[in-house]
Amino acid sequence: MNRYQFEDLISEYIENELSLSKRKEFETYLEENPDALDLVESVRSNMTRMKSIHRIKASPDFNDRLLARIQTNRAQLDRPTASQRTYFGFTPIHASLMTGLVIAMVFVSMQLFAPEEGGIPSQAQHFVNETLPTLSNPSLQKVNPPQPDFVNAEEDSAMEDQKQKSQQDFSKKMHFVND
Amino acid sequence: MMRQNSSNLSDMSLDKQNTPFVYTDEQLIARFQNGDERAYIELVNRYRDRLINFVFQFLGDREQSEDVVQDTMLKLYVKKHYYREIAKFSTWLYTIARNLANTELRKRKRRKTTLLSHMTRDEKDYELPAIQPDTGAEVQSEFVEKLIQSAIQTLPEHFKTVIILRDIQELPYDDISSIVGVPLGTVKSRINRARLQLQAELKDLI
Repeated sequence: MNRYQFEDLISEYIENELSLSKRKEFETYLEENPDALDLVESVRSNMTRMKSIHRIKASPDFNDRLLARIQTNRAQLDRPTASQRTYFGFTPIHASLMTGLVIAMVFVSMQLFAPEEGGIPSQAQHFVNETLPTLSNPSLQKVNPPQPDFVNAEEDSAMEDQKQKSQQDFSKKMHFVND
Repeated sequence: MMRQNSSNLSDMSLDKQNTPFVYTDEQLIARFQNGDERAYIELVNRYRDRLINFVFQFLGDREQSEDVVQDTMLKLYVKKHYYREIAKFSTWLYTIARNLANTELRKRKRRKTTLLSHMTRDEKDYELPAIQPDTGAEVQSEFVEKLIQSAIQTLPEHFKTVIILRDIQELPYDDISSIVGVPLGTVKSRINRARLQLQAELKDLI
């Protein structure tokens, strides 16, 4: 056993926690090293001194002071804090959010559905006027030119042919000079 | 009214009833969790002195130690439902007391740093009063106690806690391991090292 191994086992030796073989080895080391024996005795006596250190007792009014503090603490616990207070079942944060949401919804619905009564036209009406295409608005017609009607196209062309034929039949319109 | 209530609660303590049955700490905390305040008083009576002695070894001031133990007991009252029977009640309570004592020590260090930083250079040169041994046996033992306590204060934090719990509070190794939250082998090794360091501190003094 070397010095380090000896020092590691001092507490276990004093507290009788060493195995028999280890204990014998430890005691052999002690016999060979008188300073090691002094060290063990010194540690042992310090342990005894520490165990016999004067014990402090709590002051006689310890429990009364403690229970008074508990009463105060209990009163504080019973009182709801700012975050625990509720308005119609909502916490302050949720209540304010809900109020904001309701106000926003009312405002939007007023803007959308309020009738225009001779006064200032609503923004929604402006929107409708600006975006819906009307036939009277030529600029929008340019954007969406009228599509050709392919169903009536044939009929139109037949009439056109007849018109052309009637224009080409000059027999009734022709008058000879001698007639 | 409140005083009367307090003293009533003190009188209601279960240890004042002459019954041969002794509740374990775990049974008492279970009763307290179910609303029996007499069980709380019983726990306070069992642990107040032990905890004051434990905290005193860290703080070295009786009044402050008592305040810390009051805080510990108040925490026990308010946070009673946090205790689960997976650990021993004593280790749970010691852990609370140790944490509060550490907080107090940290506060004290901050205060000391602030005070020293505000002092002038001349004011910083101060002397600690020397403790002289007297002839009387009682005074002699008091002197030795003070030496031991100041030697404990010189130990590193992780040595100090374990040696106080083992050699002054006389707790089993398992409990110490739970309180400080390190493995059993580490606790044993730390205690051995702390004893050797303490012996080195005290060998010229005692």
